[in-house]
Amino acid sequence: MLRSRYISLFFSVCISFIAIESFGKVIVSGYVQDAATGEELIGANVTILEIGKGTITNTYGYYSLSLDPGSYTLVYSYIGYVAQRQSVNLDSDIVLNIELGESLQELEEVTITAEAGNANITRVETGSVQLPIQSIRKIPALLGEVDVIKAIQLLPGVQVTSEGSSGFSVRGGSHDQNLILLDEATIYNASHLMGFFSVFNNDAIKDVKLYKGDIPASSGGRLASLLDIRMKNGNNKRFSATGGIGTISSRLTLEGPVFTEKASFLLSARRTYADIFLPLAKDTAVRDNSLFFFDLNGKLNYMVNDKNRIYLSGYYGKDVFANDFAGMYFGNRTFTFRWNHLFSKKLFSNFTLVNSHYFYDLGTPEGEIPFFNWISFLEDYGFKGDFIWYPSPEHTFRYGLSSFYHVIKPGSVTARDQDGNANESELSNNLALENGIYFSGESKIGDRFAMRYGLRYSMFHNVGDATVFSYNDVYEVVDSTFYEKGEFYNLYHGLEPRIALNCMLNERNSIKASYSRNRQYLQMASNSTAGTPLDIWFPASPNIEPQISDQLAMGYFRNSLDNRIESSVELYYKKMTNSIDFRDHAQLLLNPRLEGELRIGDATSYGAELFIKYETPQLSGWISYTYSKITRDIPEINNGIPYPAPYEKPHDLALVFSYNLTDRIGLAANWIYSTGIPFTLPSGRYEVLGSILPLYTGRNEYRLPDYHRLDVSVTITGKEKPGRRWQSEWNFSVYNAYARKNIWTINFIQDNDNPDLTYAEMTYLFSIIPAITYNFKF
Amino acid sequence: MARNNKYPKGVLLVLALMGFAACTELIDIELDSTFQRLVVFGTVTSDSVRHQVQLTTSSDYFSNRPSPKVSGALVELEYGNNLVILEEHDTIPGLYRTPAAFRGEPQTTYHLHISQVDADGDGADESYYAESTMPSGLKLDSIRLTYFKSPFFSGYQVFMYALDPPTREWYSFKIWKNSDLLTDTLSKYSIQSDDFYNGSYIYGLPVGFLMDEDPREALMPGDTVTLELNSIDLDYYNFIVDAQLEIMGNNPLFSGPAANVRSNIDNQGKGIFTAYPVQRVSAILSE
Repeated sequence: MLRSRYISLFFSVCISFIAIESFGKVIVSGYVQDAATGEELIGANVTILEIGKGTITNTYGYYSLSLDPGSYTLVYSYIGYVAQRQSVNLDSDIVLNIELGESLQELEEVTITAEAGNANITRVETGSVQLPIQSIRKIPALLGEVDVIKAIQLLPGVQVTSEGSSGFSVRGGSHDQNLILLDEATIYNASHLMGFFSVFNNDAIKDVKLYKGDIPASSGGRLASLLDIRMKNGNNKRFSATGGIGTISSRLTLEGPVFTEKASFLLSARRTYADIFLPLAKDTAVRDNSLFFFDLNGKLNYMVNDKNRIYLSGYYGKDVFANDFAGMYFGNRTFTFRWNHLFSKKLFSNFTLVNSHYFYDLGTPEGEIPFFNWISFLEDYGFKGDFIWYPSPEHTFRYGLSSFYHVIKPGSVTARDQDGNANESELSNNLALENGIYFSGESKIGDRFAMRYGLRYSMFHNVGDATVFSYNDVYEVVDSTFYEKGEFYNLYHGLEPRIALNCMLNERNSIKASYSRNRQYLQMASNSTAGTPLDIWFPASPNIEPQISDQLAMGYFRNSLDNRIESSVELYYKKMTNSIDFRDHAQLLLNPRLEGELRIGDATSYGAELFIKYETPQLSGWISYTYSKITRDIPEINNGIPYPAPYEKPHDLALVFSYNLTDRIGLAANWIYSTGIPFTLPSGRYEVLGSILPLYTGRNEYRLPDYHRLDVSVTITGKEKPGRRWQSEWNFSVYNAYARKNIWTINFIQDNDNPDLTYAEMTYLFSIIPAITYNFKF
Repeated sequence: MARNNKYPKGVLLVLALMGFAACTELIDIELDSTFQRLVVFGTVTSDSVRHQVQLTTSSDYFSNRPSPKVSGALVELEYGNNLVILEEHDTIPGLYRTPAAFRGEPQTTYHLHISQVDADGDGADESYYAESTMPSGLKLDSIRLTYFKSPFFSGYQVFMYALDPPTREWYSFKIWKNSDLLTDTLSKYSIQSDDFYNGSYIYGLPVGFLMDEDPREALMPGDTVTLELNSIDLDYYNFIVDAQLEIMGNNPLFSGPAANVRSNIDNQGKGIFTAYPVQRVSAILSE
């Protein structure tokens, strides 16, 4: 009943916006696209020189400006592209679809681009970074695998939670507090090969944007960040192929128009082939293994007419670790259907149907005696409706709603003996409905001030069938309640206000501030710092209140040298309530009483972020430094004494640069330094039944030694010949170039011959790792 | 699946593959000290024996000496209306035994009182207390030996057949080959809760593995394998779970933060006092 009232109210608002469109204005609108591929450019600037105002394209490349009739000069610009001026005499509405060509880095073109290159100054939001995929490709990578997540980890405020991991912490949040969207579908586990690679094939990715806490009101459900990744639509100008043959994997992407320029497709595949070489191993135990992962990305889009576009995209990826006696399989599958509709030139809308699925499956092969199988999955079915209203260059409003149905199957185990007798067990499913409705606006007040404001209202229902346990003060089950199938048995809801202000001191300097509140209803049962495929997500419930964060941030932004150098200093303070940690030695897998393993408290993080980004024809890159503290205060952990989060690194520095030595030879390097992560080490020991057991005095009291690493790469591009479409390059990279033995973990070994003796033993993951990749496109 | 291995085979495979990339090296590190704690390991079982309590203290982590024994303590066992004073062994300091053999009884609560001990060395004696109620447990039915061969290892898996009662239960398992107790250290114990079997017949629960590669464990036709089933209380189950996690060590992929092993000894004591019934069943490996 309440829901239908909200929906009625929502559509009333939509209709009223259409009705009250201002009179006396004319509208210039359209899409900004890549000239070579037809790809829509997200976040491209559209500036009106005469009035010094403008807008940026939305995530579908669309823009709309309502202006008084007259003559104007519009400048369209986008990082890495040649800006384009367009003079228009506006006396009636016009549609201007603009195609921008990639910059060839000649001086005059860069100068033109710089005309609107201060987007970081004018943008209202704090703590957001947009990384073009071209910048990500320049970064030297582990085994030559260009990786979106690994690039994100080099930004200020973002910390890798464990060496080589695809998990990351944003401003003190844990890695399950990041909302990772691929074409609006949630990716619940972004890891391949135990986190050493992410699920994102860079050839299929168009745009990556990270919001650190100041998440747009259109999104919710996570406390720390939104990582919004958009797949390419596919080249609608001509058929093309992109690919690469690397040390560990190969990739191939095909894209092109479908019959006309109105439709295009993209198909992208990647597979590792370490297992191809396993048969060469001397050890038979190694020889018979399967060890690989693959990704498939697909997208189809069609411009029905000027007012309607549809997009169909999907992803499927899987890791396989198997041999004749046991196997482990895990992966993601997503599906997104989107419909863009222009109700008018000022009112853009998008409707999305989405499905996300993450699963793992491990055990013995069917027919093996004894047989064992363990499966688990999480699935989302969702709908989103988003509207963007452009009443004037000074104001943009967004509103919409979303509804997601979560199905979580935490674990089902089957074991059979040689007579076929079966022991079967299944943990209770978790079903939930998560709804959100939002309104936000962005307004410019005079020449100097701009603000973004938003309010999100989120609701979370637990849905039966389910058995919910009641716990006493020492977390023993004292009772249980069964809820029938389809029964809505628990509701949490709340407002999530978000506001950001920008005071432009001048065209090169601005001060920004923001406040945001986020609520999180789904979280992951994991207390490891590295990524593990055995994820168990669990919802808020009668026993678990939603996590809430309040973040305050402010920053000073400055550009210099004609916007070639962008710099910023941001400060943030974040308070998280109902923060979740787990009791000592928590049993998280296949535990029907999982909620009894949780311990709830508060967490606080604060820090300072310095970011200097430079972009010149020869030299580009950034310097990022973060100072941060993350403290958890959970009464039933560490005897109630606050302790640092396991991924806290007070000092975190990344130097990233690439240099074009010649037209054909590019050099790139990263140097990364951070304080060692907190670690728990013993202060004493005792012996029971022949085993030495450690005696600890506090959690995370010690720190591992500082971490640092240098990665370098050289890229040699093949000679271009007139009329030849084939382009290629060789990339030679070295990960951990000076072979630093960064400690991954420390363990204590009891001597076999003299059991009273113990030794400390460190484990490090990588020494120096060279890689070669051959990339091509035609 | 019993907890003699922390992870299922699929996960173990992943860990093994991870091992190809990871390297290890001994290092020197400096660790802090802390005050000494009393460490107790005491059991009362349904066997007719002189039940024992061993008292030691903790020490610095790299002390690299046998644990200091605690002599001269007053150790008392109370159950029902009985109070028994345990005697310290003549030649093994810190080992206290009941004066005579007796059988522990299921559903009886045993109280352990320890006094006249100055474990922390501050000059003042401390007192310690622990209790354990002996569970009834299930009726052990039989075991079966099944040969298993994988690329990594081969040997005989021991499967247990039994009917689990409707109450929540915890079990630990010991394996003998002939008269040799193979599960002779804490790290080799196999334990299991009945969360997935509660009230059901258990068809072939894997409770131990005898590897061909280990001469002590490798079975030959005619060898007798004996399974000892101990129905244990939650405190002892938790103690073994925690201890095995700590012995296994830290792996950032799967481990949570290191933490103290839970204990039922009060006053900051360490170790465990527990009472459990014992059942045994044997199988002979045929030709």
